[in-house]
Amino acid sequence: MASANVPVAIEGLAYAYGEGELRRPVLRDINLSIHAGEIVLLTGPSGSGKTTLLTLIGALRAMQEGQCTVLGQQLLGATEDQRVLLRRRIGYIFQQHNLLGFLTARQNVAMSLELDPGSTEAERLARAGAMLEAVGLADRADAPPSQLSGGQRQRVAVARALAGTPGLILADEPTAALDRVSGQEVVHLLRDLARSRGVPILLVTHDPRILDIADRIIEMEDGRITSGQPVD
Amino acid sequence: MNELRRLDLPAAPPATRPPRGMNALLPARLAWRQLRAERARLFTAIAGVMFACVLVFMQLGFRAALFDSATALPQAMHGELFLVNPMTTAMFKPEQFPRVRAFQTLADPDVAQAVPIYLSFATWRNPETGVRRTIELIGFDTATGAVAFPGLENVIEALKRPDTIAFDRKSRPEFGDVPRLLAERGPFEVQIADRRLEIVGLIEIGPSFGADGNAVMSETNFRRIIGQRKSSNTDLVALRLSEGADIPAVQARLRRLLPADVSVVTYTELVAWERDYWENATPIGFIFMFGSLMGLVVGMVIVYQILFSDIASHIPEYATLKAMGYAHAYLRRAVMSAALLLAVLGFIPGLLTSIGLYEVVASATFLPLEMDLNRGATVFCMIFAMCAAAGLLAVRKLRDANPADMF
Ligand SMILES: Nc1ncnc2c1ncn2[C@@H]1O[C@H](COP(=O)(O)OP(=O)(O)OP(=O)(O)O)[C@@H](O)[C@H]1O
Ligand SMILES: [Mg+2]
Repeated sequence: MASANVPVAIEGLAYAYGEGELRRPVLRDINLSIHAGEIVLLTGPSGSGKTTLLTLIGALRAMQEGQCTVLGQQLLGATEDQRVLLRRRIGYIFQQHNLLGFLTARQNVAMSLELDPGSTEAERLARAGAMLEAVGLADRADAPPSQLSGGQRQRVAVARALAGTPGLILADEPTAALDRVSGQEVVHLLRDLARSRGVPILLVTHDPRILDIADRIIEMEDGRITSGQPVD
Repeated sequence: MNELRRLDLPAAPPATRPPRGMNALLPARLAWRQLRAERARLFTAIAGVMFACVLVFMQLGFRAALFDSATALPQAMHGELFLVNPMTTAMFKPEQFPRVRAFQTLADPDVAQAVPIYLSFATWRNPETGVRRTIELIGFDTATGAVAFPGLENVIEALKRPDTIAFDRKSRPEFGDVPRLLAERGPFEVQIADRRLEIVGLIEIGPSFGADGNAVMSETNFRRIIGQRKSSNTDLVALRLSEGADIPAVQARLRRLLPADVSVVTYTELVAWERDYWENATPIGFIFMFGSLMGLVVGMVIVYQILFSDIASHIPEYATLKAMGYAHAYLRRAVMSAALLLAVLGFIPGLLTSIGLYEVVASATFLPLEMDLNRGATVFCMIFAMCAAAGLLAVRKLRDANPADMF
C-alpha cells in the first residue's frame, strides 16, 4: 500500500516510448516496494528498462500508467512543480559524476543544500565539509573536480547526493566508470552512509562484484520484474 | 558522524510549489563563478560588450556634437522671442520677411528692443592662397547685444566703421589662417563678394552643416556687400523683452498682433527648429541611429555566442542540477544574471574608453564631444537591453538539459 513509511510503492506501472505507430512499451506491470532503510539492487540485461524505471521513480519523467508513490508523493498526474519538489528529497548518483567543473568539491556538495531556503551560507559550507569528511575527502574539499581522481569525484557525488538528507537514494551504474577497487570503495561508502541514516537505496548495476551490499536483488527482463529475492 | 547527525535538517514538508526567491543572489553567484572559470571566454564577452558600448557612445557623441554645432548660430542669440518666416527650414537658407514686422512688435509694452538680423552667403577669397569659398555673413546692429558671439564685445566699436568685419576664428582652415595673419599684421583687408573689407577682430561661432565659415558685420556693411537684396526685408528678428515680462503671454499677444507671414518663437523653440531640420529633414540622425544599432547587434551576437557555448558545454551538469530539484526558472535566472553581469563588466571599461576617445576626437576635430550623465545612463540602458536580449535567446538552449536523459 502507498504510505509515507514505504518510501517507494509501485503498482501496475507501465511505460512506453514514442507515440502512435512508433509507440514501444518498455515497462509492463511493474509492482515494487522499497522499505525504509532497504538497499535494493536492480540488474538485468541491457535494454530491459532499468534506467527508465529509475527515472520514473526519480520524478525525472512523467508517469503514464499505474500507481507510483515516492516519499508520499503520488507521481501519476503530478505537476512539474510537485516533481521538482520531490526531486529535492531524492539523492541521485549518476554513472558520470556530473560535478560542476567551475566549483570546488565543497561548493559542488553545497549546491544540493542551496535549495533549502532556511540555510545560511556558513551552515551549507560547514555541512558540505562534514559530508566530504564522511567520504574521506576532507583534505580535497577545496579542489576542483579536474584535480580529483575518478573515484574521488564519484565520492564527491555520493557526498552531494547525501548532503541534502534525502529520503531515497537512486543510483544508476555508479561504478561503471570506475576500476574495481574504487568502485567497491564508493558503493561501500554509499552503503555505510545510507545505513547510518536509514536511507533506502535503489541501485542499478551490471557489476557482479558489488552485489554483496544488497538487501534484495531485483532482476528485470524485457520490461518486467522477473525475480526479487531477498539476500540473506 | 554524530556531528553530521546533529546538523541534519528536518525532512522538507510537502509543499505544493517550490518556494520563490529563496535567495535571489544565488543564481547570480553561480553565473559569476561560471563566467570567472573561463577567462578567455569572459574577456571575449567583455570585449564584445565594450565594443558595442564604445561604438554607441561615439555615435551618440558625434550626433550630439554635430547637432550642437549645427545649432551654434541660433544658440548664440540673445533674446526672449524671435520672429522667423514660417517657411524657413534652417538658418542657412532663411526665407525673408518685411523688416517692418520688427518695428510693429514695439507696439507691445513689454517689447524693449527689436533687432533685425540679416543672413546671407557670399564668396570669400582666402587671403593666403586666393582660393574662393562660400562664407556666411551675419549682419545686425552689433551694439544691441542681441547676439552673444564670444569676442564680439571687443570689436563693437571697430565694426561701426564702414567696410569692416569680424571673422569667426573657428571657421574651417580652408578660409586661411586669419588669426595668425591678424596677429602678425594687425587689421588687414580681405575680399568678400567684390568688395574689399577690413578684418578688425575675431569672434567665435564654429562651422555647422550649413556654413563652413562665418563673418559678422554691421547692418550697413551687410547691405553694402549684398547689394542686390531688398533692403526692407530681413531674415530673423530678435526681441528683447522688458525685465520680468511673461514670455508666453507676450508671445501670444504678438501672435495676434502680427500677420501670418511671421512666426513668433521662443529661444528654445528657435534652437529646436534648427535642430529638427538636421535631425529629421536630413539622413544624419538616421545614420547615427543605424550606427548605434549595428554596434548593439554585433555586441548582442557576441554575448549570445558566449552564453550559448557556456550552456552547451554544461548540459549534463545543468541536467544534474535539475535532477537535484533546481527548477528550470532557477537556471534561467542564472543565465540572465550572466548576461547582466556581462553588461556591467563591459560597460565600465567601455565608458572609460569612450571618455578618453571623446577627448582625443574633441581635440582633433573641434567637435564639442562631452560625456554627460544622461548619455551615460542612456547607453547603459541600451547595453543592458542588448545583453538581456542575448540572454533571452541563449536561455532557450537550456531546454536541452533534460534530467530524464541523465541516467
Ligand atoms: N529516450 C528514449 N526514447 C526512446 N526509446 C528509449 C529511450 N530511452 C530508452 N529507450 C529504449 O527503452 C528501452 C529500455 O531502455 P533503458 O535505458 O531503460 O534500458 P536499461 O535497462 O537501462 O539498459 P542498459 O543496461 O543498457 O542501461 C531500450 O530498448 C531503449 O532502446
Ligand atoms: Mg541504463
